[in-house]
Amino acid sequence: MEAIEVRDLHKTYGGTRAVDGVTFTVRSGETFGIVGHNGAGKTTTVECLIGLRRPDAGTVRVLGADPARGRRALAERIGAQLQDSSLPERIKVAEALRLFGSLYREAADWRQVMERWGLAPLAGKAFGDLSGGQRQRLMLALALVGDPEVVVLDELTTGLDPIARRETWRQVGDLKRAGTTVVLVSHYFEETEALCDRVAVFARGRVTAVGTPGEIVARTGTASLEEAYFALEGDNR
Amino acid sequence: MKAFTALTATELRLLFRDPASLFFMTAFPLMLLVLKRGDSGAVPGYIAMIVAIGGIGALPGIVASYRERKFLKRLAITPVSPVMLFGAQVVAQVVLGLAGSALLVVVSIVGFGVEPPRNLPLLAAAFLLCSVMACSLGFVIAAVVRNARGASLIGMLVMFPMIFLAGAAVPRKALPDALRRIGDFLPLTPGVDALGGGWSGTVAVFPMVLLAGIIVAGTAAAVALFRWE
Repeated sequence: MEAIEVRDLHKTYGGTRAVDGVTFTVRSGETFGIVGHNGAGKTTTVECLIGLRRPDAGTVRVLGADPARGRRALAERIGAQLQDSSLPERIKVAEALRLFGSLYREAADWRQVMERWGLAPLAGKAFGDLSGGQRQRLMLALALVGDPEVVVLDELTTGLDPIARRETWRQVGDLKRAGTTVVLVSHYFEETEALCDRVAVFARGRVTAVGTPGEIVARTGTASLEEAYFALEGDNR
Repeated sequence: MKAFTALTATELRLLFRDPASLFFMTAFPLMLLVLKRGDSGAVPGYIAMIVAIGGIGALPGIVASYRERKFLKRLAITPVSPVMLFGAQVVAQVVLGLAGSALLVVVSIVGFGVEPPRNLPLLAAAFLLCSVMACSLGFVIAAVVRNARGASLIGMLVMFPMIFLAGAAVPRKALPDALRRIGDFLPLTPGVDALGGGWSGTVAVFPMVLLAGIIVAGTAAAVALFRWE
């Protein structure tokens, strides 16, 4: 079954074609990577998926619904961690989790989420006093507190040190094992290759390849996803 | 309802954690009252001052920082609308303003023998109108000024002259003629008049209608001008 369907998506901002005909599908329960360099249209595509932006053209279906129309109903079933979104300075970790938990009709137990993501020792700490890694972990936990079927993670590990990155990778693995559909947006090819079942490679607002990392690497006759990306770039120039 | 209650509780907690808001909305008016030796005529003005400090002085910086930190954007992908957060912010401002005002009123009556308000429901209605009016102006500032620092500064720059010229912090009688005339055009002036009417037991119809009009106009302007990002 398909969790997400994107067909011929277009989005232009003031003359710039951010997304220029993107098509891909994400199967239920898989971890799907959206990879490419900054400005490739990854975030715009994802923002259309979660109903933050309305596409100029094309169709988007998430769990069978159009995010631009049924945003509220869909929001009950989707969780997202956005690029550099943050919380008020003085809100405490436990308060943030409880607050976000109460925004959903059916949410996970916020205390359990706090435990599971190792945030319990930070429960009484204010958001402004958290380290970058701790903030990231909290924002990830907030994306999951609504007990979503689909989770979108945009630049999850950007700015994290190598240890925190590895730890986050393990957590994404846990999500997958729990049967959650994960869309992972990243400009780290290594990360995408390690975590994702299938990948869409983005370049200049288009998808240059979709498939398992192994398929893409084999098709381009390269040794890694990153090399494959540059090989595909060369073809399109 | 569950979501709105949780948002309001959070906003209140954050307001109470902000030392500046807490001081200027509770202790500061009490200090003025002591300095004025419990002048009975000053209390309704101080109540207007309290809600102006919160709604016009503090709210724009808070709302603009929520936008700047992309907290609004984060809320937009939950089932609740970020507009609900604004509602929660208003309720929190009204509650903190009410706490500060109640403290002031009790101290003025008990400590300085000020005659209690003649018409409490009328005073309460005037308070609510004045407080919501101040918040609506705060939202206009947050809508027009883009960054948090700027919104906070403009909020202060609008609020400070207004509490003096509208007769909130000092009676307008004490002002020079030219400055007193400016007060005629300030939105906080009908607030002071309405609260004064509630205290003395005379219905100040025109000021209250004016306040309601400013709330409608301010909210409409904020809705039209607000930028989410």
